[in-house]
Amino acid sequence: MLTIKNLHASINGTPILKGINLEINPGEVHAVMGPNGAGKSTLSSILAGRDDYEITDGEVIYQGQDLLELEPEERAWAGIFLSFQYPVEIPGVKNIYLLKAAVNTIREHRGLPELKAGEFLKLVRDKLKVMQMDEAFLHRNVNEGFSGGEKKRNEILQMQLLEPTLALLDETDSGLDVDALRVVGEGINRMRAPERSVLLVTHYQRLLDIVKPDFVHVLADGRIVRSGDFSLAQRLEKEGYEGIEAA
Amino acid sequence: MSGFDALLAHHASPEATQARALGLPTSRVESWKYVPTRTLSRTQWVPATPRSGSGFTLSGGHFSGLPDALRASEPTLTEAESERLSRLLSAHGFAATHGALESERLVVTIPKGADQSLALTRLANQAKEAGFATLVIRVSQNARLSLTEVYDEASVDESNLDSLMILVDIARDGQLVHTRCQTANERAHTFTCIDAHLAENAHYRTQTVDFGGKLARTDISVTLAGRGASTSLHGLAMTRGSQYHDTHLSVDHAVGETHSAMVFKTLVDEQGEATFNGRVLIQQDAQKSATEQSVSNLLLSDKGRINPKPELEIYADDVTASHGCTVGNLNQTELFYLRSRGLSETDARAFLQYAFAEEIVEAIDDATIAERVESRLLGVLQHGELIAELKESVDV
Repeated sequence: MLTIKNLHASINGTPILKGINLEINPGEVHAVMGPNGAGKSTLSSILAGRDDYEITDGEVIYQGQDLLELEPEERAWAGIFLSFQYPVEIPGVKNIYLLKAAVNTIREHRGLPELKAGEFLKLVRDKLKVMQMDEAFLHRNVNEGFSGGEKKRNEILQMQLLEPTLALLDETDSGLDVDALRVVGEGINRMRAPERSVLLVTHYQRLLDIVKPDFVHVLADGRIVRSGDFSLAQRLEKEGYEGIEAA
Repeated sequence: MSGFDALLAHHASPEATQARALGLPTSRVESWKYVPTRTLSRTQWVPATPRSGSGFTLSGGHFSGLPDALRASEPTLTEAESERLSRLLSAHGFAATHGALESERLVVTIPKGADQSLALTRLANQAKEAGFATLVIRVSQNARLSLTEVYDEASVDESNLDSLMILVDIARDGQLVHTRCQTANERAHTFTCIDAHLAENAHYRTQTVDFGGKLARTDISVTLAGRGASTSLHGLAMTRGSQYHDTHLSVDHAVGETHSAMVFKTLVDEQGEATFNGRVLIQQDAQKSATEQSVSNLLLSDKGRINPKPELEIYADDVTASHGCTVGNLNQTELFYLRSRGLSETDARAFLQYAFAEEIVEAIDDATIAERVESRLLGVLQHGELIAELKESVDV
C-alpha cells in the first residue's frame, strides 16, 4: 500500500529525515517510535502533504501513485488521514460544518452519493457514541477551548467518519488520561480492517498496549535504526532508546 | 470651489463661515490621512429631502417615527452636552460642515430605571443629496437602551451622502447596547460619529459591522468618566471592490477602576482599502483600570490595502493592559488542517475567511441584526454559498 524509499527531507536547510525506508501492506499496523526530535512528526506530516519541508531525495509510492506529487486534499481523497499531534483550533467554524463538508467531499471523490442531512446526523451520532463524546461538540467551534483529550477524541472521530485507507496517527496518545487513552485506543482498534493500514507515531508504549502493532520501528536521527514486532516496543520501554540504538 | 464647499455657499451663519474656512479635511489632517475625498469634493451636492419610512427612520437629515415615550421633555442641550458637541463639531472641516448644515437635532431620553429598545433605519438619500443630523441620547440612572441601526439598501444612480452624529450620555448604572449593520448602497458616503460619556458603573457596548458604502467612516469615542464604567467596542469591516472603510475607535479612561475592551477585524479583498485606528488612553488618575485590545487584519488581495493603527497610551502605573495586532493572509497551519480533511484549497480558504468574520458575528447579541449580518456576510465572502449550504443542511 505504501512504500517509502530512501526518503530525505529537510526544513530550512537542516536535514531531518536521512534515508527512511518503510513498506506498509494492507491491514498492517506499524508503530514508529523514537526519542524527541528523531523526525517522527516530520515523517507523518510529509506523508499528509505539509509543504514546509523540502524533500531532498527518495520517493513515496502510495497505491501505485507518487504520493509526493499530490496536494494534501488529493491525498485525503485517496484515503490518507493524519491525526494531528496538535489539532488546530478554528474559532468561528462549527465542528459539524467541517465534519459534513469533509465527509461529503471525500465521498464525492470516492464515487459515493452525498449524505443527506438526516443520514449524516445519524452517522455522526453513532460515531460520537463510540468516542464517548457529547453531541454538544458538534456545535462548538473546531477544537476551540477543547481540552487536550477532547481534541484527540475529535481527531479520532474525524477518522471514523472519513474512513481512511491509511491512517497516520501522530502522538495521538499525548495529553490523554487513562480513560481517554482507552477510548481513543479502542476507537482506533475499531478501524482495523484487512484493507486499512495504520502508521502510529508515538514516544511511549502505553497506546501500543491497547492498539497492538504488527511492526515496530525505531526512528533515531532521521533513520529507522531497528525494526521488529511488538516485543521491540516492550524492550524499548524497559531499556530506553539509548540501549536500543547502541545495540 | 469644490462640490462639497458648494453646500455651504448660501449659508451665512457663523458655523457655516467657520466650516468654509476649515474646508474639507486633506490628508494633512491625521485622522483623515487615508480618506479618498475625491468624490466628496467632485460631486455637486445639494441638501437632501426627507422621505418617509416605517418605524424610527433617518432620511435627508430628518428623523421620524420616534416613539413619544422616548422624546425628551427637555430638548435643550445641557451646558455639558453643548460643550462636548461644539468640541466634536470643531474637530475638522467635515464636522464643522455637519454642524452648520444639520437639519435636525433630536434628543432622546430613556427615563430612570427604564429598559427600552429603539430600532433606527437610515434611508438612502437621493443621488447627489447630502443630509446631516444629530441625535442626542440620554440614558438616565439605572436605565437601559438597546439601540439597533440598519440601512435600507435602495440603490441610487449617483453618489449620496449622509452624516449622523450621536452624542450619548449614560448616567450612573445606565447601559447602552448599540448594534449596527452598515449596508449602505455602493455609491453611498456614510458618516457616523458617536461620542459617549459614561458615569459611575455605566456601560456602553457596541457591535458594528461595515459592509456597504463607497466611503464609510465610523468614529466612536468613549469617555469613562465614573468609577466602574466600562465599554466594549467590537467591530468588523468587510471591504471589497473599490470601497473605502475608515474606523476610528477611541477610549479615554479618565478615572480609576474602569474597563475597556476593543476587538476589531478588517477583511480586505479586491481593490478595497480600510483604515483602522484604535486608541486607548489611560490617564494618570485612572489606577486599577484594565484594557484589552485586539486588532486583526486579513488581506486577501495584493491590490487591497489596510492601514491599521492601534495606539495605547498609559499614564497610570497600576493598570492591566493587553493588546495585539495582526496583519496577514490566511494561517497556513489552519489551511493545511482543513485540506488534510479533504477540503479543496478554495473551500478551505472560504472556511477560514468565514471563520475570521464569524468570531465577531457570533458575539452579536441582537438576533435580528446577527441574522442580517450573517446573511450579508455569506453573500459577500468568496464562496460564501458553500458555507450557506452547509449551514442550511446542519442547523436545525
